[in-house]
Amino acid sequence: MYDSQLVFKALEKPAPYGPDLDLSKYKIEEPGVEETREVDPSLLKATSRVGLDASSLAYAQRNEQALATAMAKLLEKYGVIVLPTKEALLRKPFARELSWKLVDPTKDKYTAFAYLYGGEVGYFIYVPPGVKVPVPIYTCLSITSNNVVQTAHNIVYVDEGAEAHLVTGCAIPHGVKDGVHIGISEFYIAKNAKLTFTMLHAWAEGLHVRPRTVVKVEEGGEYINYYVTYSPVASIQTYPVVYLGRNARAYLASIIASSNKGIYDIGSKAVLEQPGAGVENVSRVVARDESESYARAEIEALESDTKGHIECLGLLLSPKAVISSIPIITSRKQGALLSHEAAIGLIADEEIDYLMSRGFTEEEAKAVLVRGFMSIDAPLPPSIKKQVDYILDMVAKYAVG
Amino acid sequence: MPLLELVDLRVCVEDKEVIKGVSLKIEPGEVHVIMGPNGSGKSTLLSAIMGLKKTRICGGSIIFNGVDITNMPSYERAKLGIALAHQNPPEIKGVKLIDVANAMAKKYGCSDCTLLAKTLLVNSFLHRSLFVGFSGGEKKRTELFLLMLQNPKLALLDEPDSGVDVESIEILARTMETLRSRGTSLILVTHTGAITEKLSKIDKVHILMNGQIAYSGSPDVVLPVVFKFGFRKGLEVLMGGM
Repeated sequence: MYDSQLVFKALEKPAPYGPDLDLSKYKIEEPGVEETREVDPSLLKATSRVGLDASSLAYAQRNEQALATAMAKLLEKYGVIVLPTKEALLRKPFARELSWKLVDPTKDKYTAFAYLYGGEVGYFIYVPPGVKVPVPIYTCLSITSNNVVQTAHNIVYVDEGAEAHLVTGCAIPHGVKDGVHIGISEFYIAKNAKLTFTMLHAWAEGLHVRPRTVVKVEEGGEYINYYVTYSPVASIQTYPVVYLGRNARAYLASIIASSNKGIYDIGSKAVLEQPGAGVENVSRVVARDESESYARAEIEALESDTKGHIECLGLLLSPKAVISSIPIITSRKQGALLSHEAAIGLIADEEIDYLMSRGFTEEEAKAVLVRGFMSIDAPLPPSIKKQVDYILDMVAKYAVG
Repeated sequence: MPLLELVDLRVCVEDKEVIKGVSLKIEPGEVHVIMGPNGSGKSTLLSAIMGLKKTRICGGSIIFNGVDITNMPSYERAKLGIALAHQNPPEIKGVKLIDVANAMAKKYGCSDCTLLAKTLLVNSFLHRSLFVGFSGGEKKRTELFLLMLQNPKLALLDEPDSGVDVESIEILARTMETLRSRGTSLILVTHTGAITEKLSKIDKVHILMNGQIAYSGSPDVVLPVVFKFGFRKGLEVLMGGM
């Protein structure tokens, strides 16, 4: 339990990055949990924006309403538990042990707000030891009302030797103009377990997004994070932290297509806590209009025999867009091998000219080049890769207008 | 009606006039070879016919199939049936050859892409980034593969025989023969002329010097002289023999 005085005090604490928000301007709806067989039409529209099939969702959330789905029941046959967090906290003592242990509610005003006023809506997922879940676990969070704060508290535990592929789509159907999304995620990857976490995001122009994520990867574990965001947004600020134990590995990838006057402050930090830990942190930013993008990436090595590499590449598609790339590498022990590379450029005229001579219009050529720029060889399973490719095709077309 | 007609064509690169009044007619199915020393304007001429942005037409006109294409963007020329195998295609990181090939197959329609990829030995690097780390031969074969996908009426081949091994030259020559047998007209630019020996039919050889066609003649007359004496001396011999 946290000292509630301190948490209340943290409501005044701005995040170190991103525009500061006055959360009192927004409403928060009454939290609830309901069983559902069919996802409502507004959510359907949202899921289609990130290429998810609503019928495959194991968990869905609209505003503060958690929707437990039939798919969650199907996953039970593998021993996988998917529950709205609120319910898991009531029924599973284990869930209570994990809740608010990695994310500190006093970190900033957003964590404090979710802790104090959030209804513990979000998903709880448990994968038992040794179970390799053969199908991706799909979840979707959406906001369908104007001027609301949505909170989500997600807890995932992949037990020893288990493997799971989680895909979360966050999307707003067209017509929703403003709001705030605060997503708290606490992921535990036990010894020799593996979690891939793919996030596909299509927000709305007036929306502010403040995810707060901490991941703990134990010995020999593996965490692969693939984050894609496109479509306009007022601001996104996120800086997930991944702690890696002995011989644990992480691959953290962000693909950001920024637009309009949005502020995209997206980064991640990996802490190499034990020997043998390694991380690769890769980002691609494609900026158009008057957007501001900050690609942050940090690796901190606490032990020797650790390895980390950062690769931040940016592509400016407009004279008024801004990309700032901020890689940080810190080594606290001899024998850690850390490196970074960062570059920001334009689409090369020569490449456009070449593709045009092959019959592509200028717009088509730019889309092909942007799509290629965003292609990274992330170690994702083929079914998810296919989905990501579909989204990236959309993102590339969107990025060049 | 000629397939391609260049009328007193002048081409500038940046502010410099590189092609200084070239007139040329190519009939359907003909194979023309353009030879000349380094810097004579051979690549610039092909780039201008294709409509690459690095070239600017500063005089004259280009007529293709009766249509004035002088000011037409390259992608429209490509749609009309002109294709260029570039001498030095750019390395494009992240864009896989297969993705470009698929997009082109969709544009132009292609029934035997797989066979074509096998014939030109490009199938082993279909999933690699376009031209990144490709050898000379791989680049040339890829260029010809993409050109073939366009099923062109006029193929412009810019030094397909430079920097490639013997095996690649054989493959490239066979592909050119296939193109010719389909009725495609070819303009082949070559510096060394190595590939000309492999082609069964050449209608005309032009020698380009300082941006102008200095001599045009049949291959039986021009090629032996050029191979023996080089361009400058060979030109004197050819002119003297007129």
